[in-house]
Amino acid sequence: MLNKEKEEKKAYRRFVIPSLVIFIFVMAFPIILSFILSLSNFSGGKMFGGSRWKITGLQNYSYLFSDSYFWNALLNNIYLVLISVFGQLPLGMILAYLIYRKTVKGGEFWQGILYVPSVISVIVIGIMWNLIFSPYGPVSQIINNINTTAFTKEVMAVLNGHLDFNGALVVNSSLIKDLVNINAQAASLLGDPVSVLTTFLKTSATGDLEETTRLLTNLLCPKWSASFLNEKGVAMLPILFVTLWCWTGMYLILFLANMQKIDPQTLDSAQIDGAKESTILRHIILPELSGVILNSAILCIAGSLSTFDLIYAMTGGGPARITQVLSIYMYEKAFTGTPNYPLSNAISIMMVVFSLVLIGITKAVQKRLEGDR
Amino acid sequence: MKNIKRILLLLAVLSLVLSMGFAEGIEENSGEKVTLKVLNYYDTTEPGYEKERQVWQNFRDENPNIDLVTEDLCNEAFHQKVSAYIASGNLPDVMYMYPSGRSMAIHENKLVKDLKPLLGEEFLSNFVSTALNTKTQGSGYLAELPQSICYTTVVYTNKGLLTSLGLKIPTTYEELKAMVPTLKANGIQTVLMANKDDWVMQSCLFSTIAGRYVGTKWFDDVKMGKVKFTDPEFVQALNMVKTMYDDGVISRNTIQLAYGEAPGLFASGKAAFFVDGDWKESAFLTNHTTGESLISPAKQETDLALIPFPALPGENYPGTVSSTLGCGFGISSAITAGSAKEIAAVKLMKYLYSSEIQQQYLELGRYVPTRKDVSAKKVEPIVKKMMGYYAQSESTCYVLDSALDPSVYTVLNKVLQEIGLGSKTPKEAAAEVQKAMDKYIAMQ
Amino acid sequence: MSTKSNKITGFWGNFGRTFAYIIMILFAFMAIAPVIWLIINSFKSTIEFQTDMVGMPNNWVVSNYAGAWKIGHFSILFVNSIIYTLFSVGIATILSLMTGFAFAKIKSKATKPIYSLLILGILLTTQTLMVPIFIQVSQLDMGLGQLFETLRICRASDFHLFYNSRFGVILVYIGSILPIGIYLSYEYIKGIPTEMVEASRIDGATYNLIFFKIILPMSKPIMITLFLLKIPQIWNEFALINIMVSKLNLQSLPLGIYKFSGTFATDYGKQFSALVIGLFPMLLFYVIFRKQITESIGEGAVKG
Repeated sequence: MLNKEKEEKKAYRRFVIPSLVIFIFVMAFPIILSFILSLSNFSGGKMFGGSRWKITGLQNYSYLFSDSYFWNALLNNIYLVLISVFGQLPLGMILAYLIYRKTVKGGEFWQGILYVPSVISVIVIGIMWNLIFSPYGPVSQIINNINTTAFTKEVMAVLNGHLDFNGALVVNSSLIKDLVNINAQAASLLGDPVSVLTTFLKTSATGDLEETTRLLTNLLCPKWSASFLNEKGVAMLPILFVTLWCWTGMYLILFLANMQKIDPQTLDSAQIDGAKESTILRHIILPELSGVILNSAILCIAGSLSTFDLIYAMTGGGPARITQVLSIYMYEKAFTGTPNYPLSNAISIMMVVFSLVLIGITKAVQKRLEGDR
Repeated sequence: MKNIKRILLLLAVLSLVLSMGFAEGIEENSGEKVTLKVLNYYDTTEPGYEKERQVWQNFRDENPNIDLVTEDLCNEAFHQKVSAYIASGNLPDVMYMYPSGRSMAIHENKLVKDLKPLLGEEFLSNFVSTALNTKTQGSGYLAELPQSICYTTVVYTNKGLLTSLGLKIPTTYEELKAMVPTLKANGIQTVLMANKDDWVMQSCLFSTIAGRYVGTKWFDDVKMGKVKFTDPEFVQALNMVKTMYDDGVISRNTIQLAYGEAPGLFASGKAAFFVDGDWKESAFLTNHTTGESLISPAKQETDLALIPFPALPGENYPGTVSSTLGCGFGISSAITAGSAKEIAAVKLMKYLYSSEIQQQYLELGRYVPTRKDVSAKKVEPIVKKMMGYYAQSESTCYVLDSALDPSVYTVLNKVLQEIGLGSKTPKEAAAEVQKAMDKYIAMQ
Repeated sequence: MSTKSNKITGFWGNFGRTFAYIIMILFAFMAIAPVIWLIINSFKSTIEFQTDMVGMPNNWVVSNYAGAWKIGHFSILFVNSIIYTLFSVGIATILSLMTGFAFAKIKSKATKPIYSLLILGILLTTQTLMVPIFIQVSQLDMGLGQLFETLRICRASDFHLFYNSRFGVILVYIGSILPIGIYLSYEYIKGIPTEMVEASRIDGATYNLIFFKIILPMSKPIMITLFLLKIPQIWNEFALINIMVSKLNLQSLPLGIYKFSGTFATDYGKQFSALVIGLFPMLLFYVIFRKQITESIGEGAVKG
């Protein structure tokens, strides 16, 4: 009996110690150092036996709490976490379920396709993103072309309504008024549309009606641009969408794999018993997957709180910090300008704390749901 | 038996591990071979990168007793690594750095030596005096030797385009503003800037605008609390930015324009003026391996002009342009004074800053060197025009991310974008920047 | 067997079908479009790209690839990337399974605290790790180097065990994979019936035997999951390797690709071809192993 216990202990050590050692080396030291630094005023130079630095207490944390940019980043992160957890997981679940129940053909193919995004390097996504929505990019070009064609017709109509017998353009205040009225708001961007148009028509009227139309269209037609990317609440949406696109595939694979572990007999007998689809879903499939769902939620929370590469490549946290998240905020403090090691480490610690809080909440919710049954 | 097997296995693993550690080979303690670690900022998009290897190789060939270990990084990778180096207090022996700004920590912690005594008066006399001005170096002494003087506001002008529309090069803001309808009617942007990165507006235009209204000394005063950003002179400068957006001189679209997109747009005639720093000239040069260029040398000669930003209404310091010391190499202070390593490092510096190498960089179009004895015979027209631009600029003012602390200029960057977006008024913007400055002063 | 009765019929079935197809086609399009766009544009010269970012190339330029390969020294970087990815993911997976097995099937009081500690690792970001790891490895190398110098084994400056060494890089990568690996392994192995383990123990098997002969084969699904998660991640990893090495001949592909976008301009032509070169093995990996993946996931289902 004793021998068995000894053997158990030895095996345990054998299997655990290598991982533990590597972990301590790679992660433990950074965690501890991070925590210590966050309480200090270290600012570079030799850490041990060099520059003088000391433990200064919680002042970095109080700086954080008083910094509106910190709360801004935190809010964006919470936004991200919520959409990720309540977006990626349900979507992955629904798709997995539909594939599993053979509602959709070619499950393997779709699994694979949805996996591709995680393989594409973030740099590509960033470049593409910037180019697609650039003011000179394809989307703007297409929309502006459509707008311009329609607008040209209107300008042409107005001009044709102001010709004299010889077919020459009569430049008077009525013409100007009609031109401005095609789209008064866009015209107001010219500052003082009336005087601008008057001067312009006087100096550049070439007699060629088509040329004049073209010039006037350029002047007056409202230009579309992806300005929604500049608005505070809205700018995060594209990022959320791209994040969804990147990660749903992974959850799909996870959920599907675990669904396929369910004993098909159970499903058969349930269907034979005449159970409805929703009952099967609620009482067989979901409970079996509750463990995986919890794990995925945890992974999702951890992932969305620490996401950096994607957002940095797409918007850099801007413009004007409206898409900045904690990891970018921390990057700014750590690597731009004078590296502020204590502050950036304080941010790290805060991120870990938030993760733990959110995970704790998730676990509590799951316990309650399980308790209900 | 099992235990012996275990021990043997352990030894095997250990030796494997150690052998990987010694993959460099065990050096014989023969001779005076000195190892120099160098961190260089350099990427494949720099003009003449293919010649860069040769530069270092030549040094190796001429100095067989110096073992040069070079590390080439750029952009964020560079800054991340530097941050790590600073935290460990263990800089490379010779490294590329900024006179302040992003290398401030190096200056503040005196992690590099004073180059004045090391390089000597005689060697330094080869460089223009502005380069040796230590006042603007973060450390107060010659921590790095600037390879060039960097003018951060240059108005690249498509002269050919203007002429074809019957327009002339503007000398005042009013003239520039008057061009907007004509340009717009022809589907052309007036002033193009790549404002997606928030530092661009601040470094490449606002620094000059601010300098024109408040001058230089004002910024020394604001750091001591003698004047405030909320004072009318500075708000006037912020107002000018808002005016430019409102007048359509700069399109609000530019806030979505990524940095790499701009040169192509300007070169293909989509904008009449392009505002950026002097480093952007290299985007228009001929690529030596392919022979292609965004703006051919012929066109550079006839159609391109580099003009100072037009006179602003109510400016107090006309003609001033924002400029800062360029980057350069410094020597780590961890090297023992008088050691063979220090001698080797100085040798490397003198080689890099020699007139032959600096001449080469000039001809490749990399920058205009601070070294005096270089000739501009074999350069492309745009480089010549750049040298002319430097020569005609009457006075210079600070580039704000060299003059202000990061905790302040990052706020300035942000509010400038907000002014462009219309989500902040100049007064509110000034107040926010002042708040950051107050915090900074309090922590001194 | 019961493939037929798995179908959902009726309204929800149809609705579900349409919904699923819409989503999947949309996502698939978003996945394929960038790759195709990237490949097409990698055949444009940088100048042409800068003037026309959307259309087809006027002249198809092949030199981008040769140029990128040569200038970026991709032959070295490619090999390095393969070494780093294979070794770190492979070793980390085995270690994770071992530890997960020990936690799940061997009773010990130490499990709870150690496990909690390990899980903390999942919450750390690369940026948090970067600077401390650098400090750690450079100090270690310096310290050990001094030691070896006094022992006359070699010169201190030549000692590279952790910094600027393949060993160090692989070690750091393994460390970054372990938390997730152990977490997933533990959860998965918990689901393997303990009776199997106990029965084998009664038959006199050692834990080693149990692990290699029983647990490992049954863990194919979780191994595949880990591979899917981590291989692309390590292949594209950039920040940690930048910190750990400075020598060119130890760098990996992402660093090489990164060099093509500088401050002055971006050499789009070469950068794109570099990205395609980097993307290619990943796509290949996915195409080759797609069958394996779905098979083994399905297999795990039947056995379970």
